Amino acid sequence: MRWGQYTAFVPISMKIFADSASAFIADRPDAAPRQLAWTAFEEAGLPTTSDEVWRYAPLKDFDLDRFGVVSEPATRTDSAFAAQLCERAGLVVRVVDGFCVNTGKGLEGVSVEVVESSQSLAGTSFADRYRSDTFAILNAALTPATAVIRVGAGVNVEEPIVVLNVSNSTSSFSRTQIELGRGASATIVEYFEGGTDALVVPLSEYSLDDNSSLQLITYQRLDQSAWHVARTTGFVSRDARLRQAVVGIGAHYNRSRNDAEMRGAGSENELRTTFLGSGDQVHDFRTHQMHTGARSRSTLLSKGAVADQSRSVYTGLIEIEKGAKRTDARQTNHNLLLSPAAHADSVPNLDIRENDVMCAHASSVGPLDELQRWYLESRGVSREDAERLMIQGFFYEMLANLPAELAELVERDVTSVLATVNVVTP
Amino acid sequence: MTSTLIIEGLRVEVAGKEVLRGFDLLMRTGEVHVIMGPNGSGKSTLAHALTGHPGYKVLGGSVRIDDVELLTMSPSERARHGLLLAMQQPLEVAGVRPIDLLIAAGVDPTNLRQRMRDEAERVELRPEILDRFVNVDLSGGERKRAEMVQFGMLRPKFAVLDEIDSGLDVDALGAVARRLSLASNEWECGILVITHFKRLLQELTPTMIHVLSEGRVVATGGPELSEILERDGYEPFRVASA
Repeated sequence: MRWGQYTAFVPISMKIFADSASAFIADRPDAAPRQLAWTAFEEAGLPTTSDEVWRYAPLKDFDLDRFGVVSEPATRTDSAFAAQLCERAGLVVRVVDGFCVNTGKGLEGVSVEVVESSQSLAGTSFADRYRSDTFAILNAALTPATAVIRVGAGVNVEEPIVVLNVSNSTSSFSRTQIELGRGASATIVEYFEGGTDALVVPLSEYSLDDNSSLQLITYQRLDQSAWHVARTTGFVSRDARLRQAVVGIGAHYNRSRNDAEMRGAGSENELRTTFLGSGDQVHDFRTHQMHTGARSRSTLLSKGAVADQSRSVYTGLIEIEKGAKRTDARQTNHNLLLSPAAHADSVPNLDIRENDVMCAHASSVGPLDELQRWYLESRGVSREDAERLMIQGFFYEMLANLPAELAELVERDVTSVLATVNVVTP
Repeated sequence: MTSTLIIEGLRVEVAGKEVLRGFDLLMRTGEVHVIMGPNGSGKSTLAHALTGHPGYKVLGGSVRIDDVELLTMSPSERARHGLLLAMQQPLEVAGVRPIDLLIAAGVDPTNLRQRMRDEAERVELRPEILDRFVNVDLSGGERKRAEMVQFGMLRPKFAVLDEIDSGLDVDALGAVARRLSLASNEWECGILVITHFKRLLQELTPTMIHVLSEGRVVATGGPELSEILERDGYEPFRVASA
């Protein structure tokens, strides 16, 4: 039935969405490259669960016609958490329904621009780069514009920069590019909230020039009804370091693809992803660490917990190109089952074309570590509290590299969510 | 008020083998008791079984503090009834901070951060360590000092110290021993030290020494017993148990 899905069936089922998309594209100054991306999307159509990479997505219930492409952002009040987050920021870039509505007050050495651009930081056009990724290609066609945050060479940004991304009940295709100049360093939080019954498809790219260092946290707290399909890519140059933490809590379907290309010698990527599943959520995490630079390093730690009837999948690929000598790549995935009806899958993959490398992966799916729990209990912590502390610990660990003030705030927020989750120990 | 810890006929199985085979002990708060014995005599089994470690199966016997049976209790209830184990190799619990552990364990949160810092100072532990996750990336000595901080905050009636001296340098050993010694005065903590070294006893004067062999106490005596053990080893006691 492939022909049906790819040609006749898809355009008919998404007529309403397609019409609003066409109207949106026609109004944009750079309609031509958008149209190319849209055509690529139409040709490919929506994926089905028979596509391996979409196997776990609840696509059966997915109907693009529930969403429309809006030509301007709606208004929305921030949550108390968002307000506190912004208080702690040196600069706040505000994005509503994919539109960058405020580039924030000046921070020395940092510039924020909203640009119409079809160029990926990979060096090709978005349409080319994301051709094989249905939702990313939608972003290429339908993003209002790209918010570009540049940190100048040698600039060390002390205060965190917050990209506050809120969505209303619609579709949202935000796009962010973060560029660090040579030797620069910064901490950036990409935060997502809102999104009741919305389709939220953010696309982010990070380019790190030689010797720069970016500490990034993506915190996703969308409404439990949202479809969230995110993709991020880091391009890491010589001796630069990208430390990224991705924390996913909200959305009905939370898909997060986080890639990094270690292009320069001695480049480094530390990626930590974590999620908490409850209700009938699906968390779908995908990572791809590509090593081309010699002596490059990647450390990947994915930890998550699934409660109720929720499920998760983690699929990670480490790819090492010939010539990336003495590369060190490690991937670890731990999944915690908090209910007998919850389910977690883990699919680590290695693709190595160089002999002189160090590469390791480990994965596990199971209940909480019994000995750690006993250790806590033996201090007088009740079993229930010990379990909460340990699950909460999954998230705290992810936040360990953040400035303390910021970590505390996010920790409190995570803890408030955890208090509502039902833990059933086998 | 004096409390009493009574262990009677404790039998424990590990991996299908009966390791403790009728262990008896009576001690009061304020006292320091030492259990010595060769490898495999059941020392660590005793410590773990007392606190309800999941890998240890109790076959019989009784452990009571002031006539309240502990063996039917969960590990946390045992701790809340005043029994604390300080471990030979305290476990790493990533993502959990010492202060959160202590609050969950029922320690009064008032001014807790400062009280922990004071306690850390007493055992010469760098206070920054208190902000790290429990035992993660700590050296052997730091872990044991960190256990002492928990000990000082939890103020158990009875503390069981399982080979806490193994792998410790002289400075750390001294700090730990002095802290324990002080605790026996401060709140009349009863201290049960499991060890096969004499070193710890130089700073911590034992009330009684018990020699453990093949899962039973085969000799009990005063501090002089450690001198005999030092001189003659455990062999004479092994014969006695046969």
